[in-house]
Amino acid sequence: MRGLLKSMGVTLSVFARKPVTRQYPETHRPLPERDRAFPLLLWDENLDEPFCTGCHACERACPVECMTVLMKDNPAHRSQGGTSTRRKIIDKFWIDYGRCMRCNICVEVCNFDAIGMNNTWQGHEQSVYDRADLIQDLPQLLAEHKAGDVKPWIAP
Amino acid sequence: MNHDLFGFEINVWADAAARLGLIVSLMTVVVMGLIYGERKVIARFQQRLGPTRTGPAGLLQSVADALKLVAKEDVRPKSADPWVFELAPYFVFVPIFLMFVAVPFAFHWEIRVLELGIFYVLAVSSVNIVGWVMAGWGSDNRYAMLGALRAAAQAISYELPLVMSLIAVGMVADSFNLTDIVRGQGQVPNIVWQPLPFFIFFVAMLAELNRTPFDIPVGESEVVGGPFVEYSGIRWSMFFLAEYAALFILALLGAAIFLGGWAWPLGEEWGLPWQLALTAIKAGAIIFAIFWVRVTLPRLRIDQLMAFSWKVLLPISFVQVLANGLVLVYEPPQHIADILLAAISGAGLVLVVMIMNRSVGKPRPRPVLTNRAAAATPPARSEAAR
Amino acid sequence: MTAPFTHEHEFETQDLMINMGPQHPSTHGVFRMVLQIDGEVVRDVIPYIGYMHRGGEKLAETMDFRQGIGWMDRTEYLAQHNAELSYVMAVEALAELEVPERAQWIRMILCELNRLSSHFMFTGAFGTDAGVFGTAFVYSFREREVILDLFEEISGDRLMYAYFRPGGLAWDVPANFERRVAEVLKSTKQGIKDMDGLLTENEIFRARTVDVGTISAADAIDWGCTGPVLRASGVPLDLRRTEPYLYYDQVDFDVVTGTNGDVYDRFVVRVEEMRQSVRIIEQCMERLRPGPFLPDRLPRMLRTPPGEIYLRTEAPRGEYGIYMVSRGGNRPYRLKIRSSCFANLQALRDMTIGSYVADAVVILGSLDIVLCEVDR
Repeated sequence: MRGLLKSMGVTLSVFARKPVTRQYPETHRPLPERDRAFPLLLWDENLDEPFCTGCHACERACPVECMTVLMKDNPAHRSQGGTSTRRKIIDKFWIDYGRCMRCNICVEVCNFDAIGMNNTWQGHEQSVYDRADLIQDLPQLLAEHKAGDVKPWIAP
Repeated sequence: MNHDLFGFEINVWADAAARLGLIVSLMTVVVMGLIYGERKVIARFQQRLGPTRTGPAGLLQSVADALKLVAKEDVRPKSADPWVFELAPYFVFVPIFLMFVAVPFAFHWEIRVLELGIFYVLAVSSVNIVGWVMAGWGSDNRYAMLGALRAAAQAISYELPLVMSLIAVGMVADSFNLTDIVRGQGQVPNIVWQPLPFFIFFVAMLAELNRTPFDIPVGESEVVGGPFVEYSGIRWSMFFLAEYAALFILALLGAAIFLGGWAWPLGEEWGLPWQLALTAIKAGAIIFAIFWVRVTLPRLRIDQLMAFSWKVLLPISFVQVLANGLVLVYEPPQHIADILLAAISGAGLVLVVMIMNRSVGKPRPRPVLTNRAAAATPPARSEAAR
Repeated sequence: MTAPFTHEHEFETQDLMINMGPQHPSTHGVFRMVLQIDGEVVRDVIPYIGYMHRGGEKLAETMDFRQGIGWMDRTEYLAQHNAELSYVMAVEALAELEVPERAQWIRMILCELNRLSSHFMFTGAFGTDAGVFGTAFVYSFREREVILDLFEEISGDRLMYAYFRPGGLAWDVPANFERRVAEVLKSTKQGIKDMDGLLTENEIFRARTVDVGTISAADAIDWGCTGPVLRASGVPLDLRRTEPYLYYDQVDFDVVTGTNGDVYDRFVVRVEEMRQSVRIIEQCMERLRPGPFLPDRLPRMLRTPPGEIYLRTEAPRGEYGIYMVSRGGNRPYRLKIRSSCFANLQALRDMTIGSYVADAVVILGSLDIVLCEVDR
């Protein structure tokens, strides 16, 4: 009987505490800086082009092979009369968010700090009605950083 | 052939129809409120918020649930027995509502004053188990059948202590008429003279309602909902409605029989609103206690449940009835009789608690802690094992 | 119907076969057991596993040593740091890498925190199995949430951390690490107290668990049980003590053993282990010093010399071992995971036969299986 009363006492003491739950869709918990949602490509504002040169490092390192990268000669390179220092630049880039396992390896292997993990709630709330919609192409991958919505954390 | 309903003289049949309509509509509203209340209370016990989305503070949650359940497809498994399966909810639903007839809310506020009110309530309340077994058998599902048989065994076992505890109170109150019992408690509620029957009543009520720790027939982690496994939509909601209606009615009965109902304290002097408030507060307290127990305790096992009923509650309640009879037959002076009754019953309660403690045994000593010195080497297999 | 059937008596009774799982609320994932019951008594149990099999060991053989870490998370999704630890330690032993001191202490802290979160998961799920209406579950998830928040701040993910690397850690912990760990421990202690008060002494809980699913020390050893299941039977085998890895030989903690080997013992052993984990973390925090978290010279693509190794660590559910064969490439030639849950689960049949249906649920819950680890 004593144990029963003790249990009842525990639940009653919890009854007086404040709820710990959040009203999720309205209140979002602030995410830590290092939060990893899905990878996205970063935009070089100085040169007005992506950082990515399409070097395939992330594609090779990806454990689940969710990336497809195509590179091209940079039309804005100095030799072509532009201002950019990048000889090659990304042409097409797809990431299948449905396959990605968010392991952060692509960010680690990137030599140009051109890819980062989305650390905002938009990155997490990616639900779509069709799996094919999860395949992101280059403009989609660049859009959020280009607009300044995310500031990915890249390990020093 | 006219009857009196709230001061109006009306035809008998119209009167019956009016009363019936009153029961059904009141019950439905009360059940919705209870479901909302339970979800909110349990949520607070678990540091959650409970329903908040539908309506202000989630008040319309039950309405939304009801709408959803009514609109859902009423699925019947292909191999189910059609008649038994489809009729089972009514067999659960109707007896519970019949119990409502004798419950006193306030002075002259009851559907019917029955001379043997307690017996009527008990007789009607045990009928619904037929519906449970029908549901379990008709579903052609092994979980459902297991649950239904558990429910039958449990209901029969706990019906007896329930009856005996109420008989003990009836002896003390000198009446089986619920209205008389409540009026007789104008000074002191029955729980003071009869704490043991109240305890037995509370436990047996939990078992009758299939509430934790006696929710064996419907235990989600074992038989996945028991007899209701195959039900959906409106039929499932009828089971649910009946369950909560029974909860409400038994809480009202407990309040009326043991806690003084509308009469204590000062019920007859302060008039109708106070009486209604008293009934609501006492029934609410019992319901809150049920929720509290539900949220705290694990589930018993079927053999422990049976043993507790047949080996502890039933003999003790017989002894209580016997003791009450002895005290009342020899007609000692009133105050001596009262003290004797209270003392015997209190001693019985202590006895039950002691038996419960002994049956579980002493708390096991805390696990053995081995520090570094004692476990420097791994134990050889032969030593440890054989 | 055609089978010959002789009537010895007027009525023949027949045992009922009940199919529990793969979709059942208390089979902890997609585990299926067929119970042969006589009334309420279990006569036989036939467990079926493999619904979660994803060929994990073979998959990991196609991945290099960094990619494989992410896979280890997914085999043991409740004790990810511990699973990663076995893997990276096996790689380190093969490649003969020196791990910096700070990385080792941080690994220890994270592994013990992970043990806490895993045991919280157990107490919550076990409370639900025993029939508490969600309360134990919510209390333990409240605490687990706090720990997961800390993990997220460190590694960036709530479940699949992929934080350990051969040689150390992926990156350093944040600057406020010590303060955050202190906060987490404070909340955790309260959570252990709540859980202890809610269940340990509760008479109904004891009635349900004491002398249920008993397994003797000899049987537990024969079945290959490890971890709390073995220790509850009274065998003080804790790899942190018997073959210390990381710096477990430098901290002071007690090995917790039960006396009876029943379900109740398995519960209290885990609750007490949670207290010991708190002790270990507090000692680790005192000894944590700034420093590097990766070796100075680490090749860009790690290759190991040919060799093989079996390396085991004490995960929350028992011995989590990695058998790794390397032929000198950048990925294992063969990887075998010694799953603690798989061995523990084998003892289920012996424990369950002769008990009640309700006990079968509690016994399964007390083994604390993770189906992903059983099936891999």
